[in-house]
Amino acid sequence: MSEHRLRIDPAGTPRATVLIVPPLFEEANRTRRTLVLAMRALAAEGFAAMLPDLPGQNESLVPLEQIDLARWQDALAEVAAGIDGPTLVASVRGGVLIDHQVKAAAWWRLAPVGGVSLLRTLMRARVSADREAGLTSSLESLQEEAKAQPLLVAGNRLSPEMVAQLGTSEAQAVEPLRNVGLGADGIAGTPLWLRAEPGEDAAMAKAIAADISAWSTTCGIS
Amino acid sequence: MTEANTVDATLRALLADVLGLGEARAAALTEDSGLFGELPEFDSMAVATVLTEMEDRLGILIDDDEVDGEIFETYGNLLAFSLRKVTD
Repeated sequence: MSEHRLRIDPAGTPRATVLIVPPLFEEANRTRRTLVLAMRALAAEGFAAMLPDLPGQNESLVPLEQIDLARWQDALAEVAAGIDGPTLVASVRGGVLIDHQVKAAAWWRLAPVGGVSLLRTLMRARVSADREAGLTSSLESLQEEAKAQPLLVAGNRLSPEMVAQLGTSEAQAVEPLRNVGLGADGIAGTPLWLRAEPGEDAAMAKAIAADISAWSTTCGIS
Repeated sequence: MTEANTVDATLRALLADVLGLGEARAAALTEDSGLFGELPEFDSMAVATVLTEMEDRLGILIDDDEVDGEIFETYGNLLAFSLRKVTD
């Protein structure tokens, strides 16, 4: 089944298409608004920008517990294969774990995070919620439980494969790549992906678009 | 800056990032400021995020059994826990 793709087109023929790979799980919701603002800014600079739903996330009808990282990698490669003209991949946070199978002219990664760190936070949320409910669980007991059956962590039902893959997943080497963080040498803004309640940052969205646009030029894409 | 000041500044910035407090509210936190149960943004997901960010930014490792409700009761408790971990 094909997933929803949010696409924002520029006036006229696009310089290239920027394929946004969103953060994973709750971090996707926290950043979506700002990423879409960045897409609008990219369109104003002549790029087409596409934000696909990952199977099992956002508006997808596929149950998350049927998904693992390998499936997301395949899904993104498929989306990219349908794009006309050069593609520039822009991944945020855990998106960097699934962006390397795409055939792209360049990659841009914002605040990359390892799978272990994402999994640890999700499991801790479960341990913390269990503690409030008077139940005892631990990162170890949840790891054990996840070997045989889907594990419910912070509202996400993760398959044993997903838990195992997150536990070892790191961003893979791609070329050409620009890795960018927050701060003076990178994007001015705050880590919205950590925010307990979703916020938005228009200035940060503009900075993201400007940085991607400059990287595209550096790579000779347009 | 002393180590204690660095830890304090790191912790305030981290809480500002996770809870969206803004610089002024984060700077105004005192030893007695309540966190979990007091700030509506501070739910179990926020607790988890704070713990992982503490590990990353302070360069420490936190075990499950070190975490009890008490350390998130007040800012002072969280700061004392962090300082203990950093100097361990």
